[in-house]
Amino acid sequence: MVLFIEQALNGLQYGMMLFLMAAGLTLVFGVMGLINLAHGSLYMVGAFACAWVAAATGSFFLGLVASLVAAAVAGALVEVVVIRRLYHRDHLDQVLATFALILVFSEGTRWLFGSFPLYLTLPPVLSGAVMLPGGLQYPLFRLAIIGIGAVVALGLFFLINRTRLGIRIRAGEADREMIAALGVNIERLYTIVFALGAALAGLAGALVGTIQSVQVGMGEPVLILAFVVIIIGGIGSIKGALIGALLVGMTDVLGKALLPGLFARVMVGSDAATVGSALASMLIYILMALVLLVRPQGLYGQRG
Amino acid sequence: MGKGVKGMARETLLTLAILSALLGTVIVAQITGEGFVITLATKVAIFALAGVGLNLALGYGGLVSFGHAAFFGIGGYVTGILASHAGAGTAVTTLPFALMGSNEMLGIWPMAMLAAGAAALLIGALSLRTSGVYFIMVTLAFAQMLFYFAISWPRYGGEDGLSFYVRNSFPGLNTLVPVQYFAICMALLVLALILSAALVRSRFGLALQAARQNEQRAAAVGIRPYALRLVAFVISGMITGLAGSLYADLNRFVSPAMMSWHMSGEIMVFVILGGVGRLAGPVAGAAVFILLEHLLGGVSEYWKALLGLLLLAIVLFAPGGLIGLVLRRDRHV
Amino acid sequence: MSDAVLRLSHLRKSFGSLVATDDVSLDLRRGEVHALIGPNGAGKSTLIKQITGELRQDAGTIAFEGERIDSLDTAARARRGLARSFQVSSVIPAFTVLQNVMLAVLGAGGGVYRFLRPALRAPGLTEPARFHAEQVGLADRLTTRAAALSHGERRRLELAMALALRPRALLLDEPMAGLGLEGARHLTTLLSDLRHQAPILLVEHDMDAVFALADRISVLVYGRIIATGTVAEIRANAEVRRSYLGEGA
Repeated sequence: MVLFIEQALNGLQYGMMLFLMAAGLTLVFGVMGLINLAHGSLYMVGAFACAWVAAATGSFFLGLVASLVAAAVAGALVEVVVIRRLYHRDHLDQVLATFALILVFSEGTRWLFGSFPLYLTLPPVLSGAVMLPGGLQYPLFRLAIIGIGAVVALGLFFLINRTRLGIRIRAGEADREMIAALGVNIERLYTIVFALGAALAGLAGALVGTIQSVQVGMGEPVLILAFVVIIIGGIGSIKGALIGALLVGMTDVLGKALLPGLFARVMVGSDAATVGSALASMLIYILMALVLLVRPQGLYGQRG
Repeated sequence: MGKGVKGMARETLLTLAILSALLGTVIVAQITGEGFVITLATKVAIFALAGVGLNLALGYGGLVSFGHAAFFGIGGYVTGILASHAGAGTAVTTLPFALMGSNEMLGIWPMAMLAAGAAALLIGALSLRTSGVYFIMVTLAFAQMLFYFAISWPRYGGEDGLSFYVRNSFPGLNTLVPVQYFAICMALLVLALILSAALVRSRFGLALQAARQNEQRAAAVGIRPYALRLVAFVISGMITGLAGSLYADLNRFVSPAMMSWHMSGEIMVFVILGGVGRLAGPVAGAAVFILLEHLLGGVSEYWKALLGLLLLAIVLFAPGGLIGLVLRRDRHV
Repeated sequence: MSDAVLRLSHLRKSFGSLVATDDVSLDLRRGEVHALIGPNGAGKSTLIKQITGELRQDAGTIAFEGERIDSLDTAARARRGLARSFQVSSVIPAFTVLQNVMLAVLGAGGGVYRFLRPALRAPGLTEPARFHAEQVGLADRLTTRAAALSHGERRRLELAMALALRPRALLLDEPMAGLGLEGARHLTTLLSDLRHQAPILLVEHDMDAVFALADRISVLVYGRIIATGTVAEIRANAEVRRSYLGEGA
């Protein structure tokens, strides 16, 4: 039971991480109709910025701020220089151009920082474990990530539903020409949305980089998971991104923790555990396939 | 389709010119004894074949699949698994029927294509329920699923991949002689090109391209895009699967990297670099890609950054790809 | 009535609180041109889309040649011979005129899954396509790309595609739109002859054409049919004059 709670918390933490990635992606999809493969590169930029600033200043928190700033700046820059030219192109061009951006970002980072992973050390305030009810020792930092994810989710809901920027974003999702007609500077709006999404990805990169390591290419597997989240949740929906991210996070972590053991119990033979773990690695995609069968537009998708 | 007779003839000429250049390179390399060049040319032919497969779905069907590495990898794994069992003299499986290993290319290819086609049928049936951006992400995700499966399935090497020591055989040829293996790959590439040229001009091709350009119109004249696209996707996956089989034999090694999303991206790059929906687009694209890898790789170990910048330039300034540049026409129909 | 080729019974469709089609019943009889008129926003296009299957009605039924077709998709309805032209010309721009019409022949006859033989060398496709292109006066434009056609030619190409489906009924959504005087007159003659091949449900704003062609007229206002009758009856109908023809009561 304790193991289960621990894994459930891990799933929650993982889900929150995915939410930070998926939120930006889904906004960019929804508002600009753009598929951005280079979102994972912004995640990587955030992680490297955090590691570099934390190492230079000795402050992890400055590092976190740096991850937000660096990813937002990189995002805005990319939007202005490249992405802006792609809004009116078809998805194929968007895919190819952002794929090219990944190559540039990855190799550029490798050139700057080398191929060896960097590691981040947690400040004392955030390290260590807390005792949860039931006698479970759980790392404080992972709890902090869950908290950050929740705060960002609340902040985004507030932003989208209660602020002027949010109204513009929603208007942009509904009708691009309309917001231009309302006199909104659409170019600036797009840059802001893109930079916002980038900053969230950068933050996610810094946080995950702290748990794991910071290295070139770290953003790509996460990017694809964020896609799965969006497919499940539905394009353009922050709520869908949150629900999808938590579903994917939970399914993946719990599946990997429980399935091998489960298979070992019901199946005989030495293959049982490997069947279980192979299946566990496919579980979230199976979940995605089920959603596609039932609701191809995603749980909270608009098109139907 | 739809181009004037003159335009078609020019594209056919260009296709022949590109193929001749590839063939000529190998002949010169054979005379001067540069085996390395022959291997590079073989790689070009194989990647081009993978691209010809994707081009059917992407160029003519308008299906932006970011998951073709799955079919490439499946073709490769079928080849590796059959060859390794043949080497060990064991059965691949005994249920539901005994399937022995094989090291005959003529037996392996159909198996590789069948397996890739079956996967394409499943993935396509689900993915084609969506369109646009969703389709790109869904195909990418399913390929990633198979990638993780290959990593976590230890029997055939898992993360480390699977080696087999002798290249599979082809009647009457010594496949270990580079130029002979090149000949096999080249012949299959030419066959695939002829096949796709025929497909594009056939009734099926007419309907497929109509559905790409105007789905509503196609439905209004009684043509259902879903089934049409699924068939195109399966044929496309099978051709790419065959390329995967050849690639496995070239390296005598398969690994999950063949299924990685980088591979999907590269196959797509071959197609787009050359020119989407152009018959010889994938051939030109693969040749330029391999050439760049070779040349830029000599300049800098960070050559992929340069490749990225080049790709960006092509997307932003020459959206018709290389063939579009040469033929100086708009993007294909 | 036994001679109703297409019969709509109590169709209803709403989008949220907006009722776009409100209890519409209408029939299209053998040999007639039945015009559907009404102000912009009356729900004519929504109605057409329900007939073709692009939209599903919320309630009511559609019968075609005596059989319910509510559960069929657009392609299946087209294959049964329910052919349409679009309000905004919808052809395959990169295909030639001949290829566009061949596409319709192909859709009508099935046989899409033939992979090797060049379609352009299949007389089973090219001959009927040529015939229908000639029928609408596009004989000398066969190898021209649809994108290069004039507006009027494109409208005629649409009609050729509809005819190539061997239609049992034609749904024409504003076929006269954007045609000059000459073009409209030409098309009017063409349609007049076609009614005997397949009855025509004609959505049209050009009242000259409507009065010249229609055997019967239905008037759609705010999703409801307020009147159906012969040309003379509709001309005489006070409610129609008030709400559509724009005459003060």
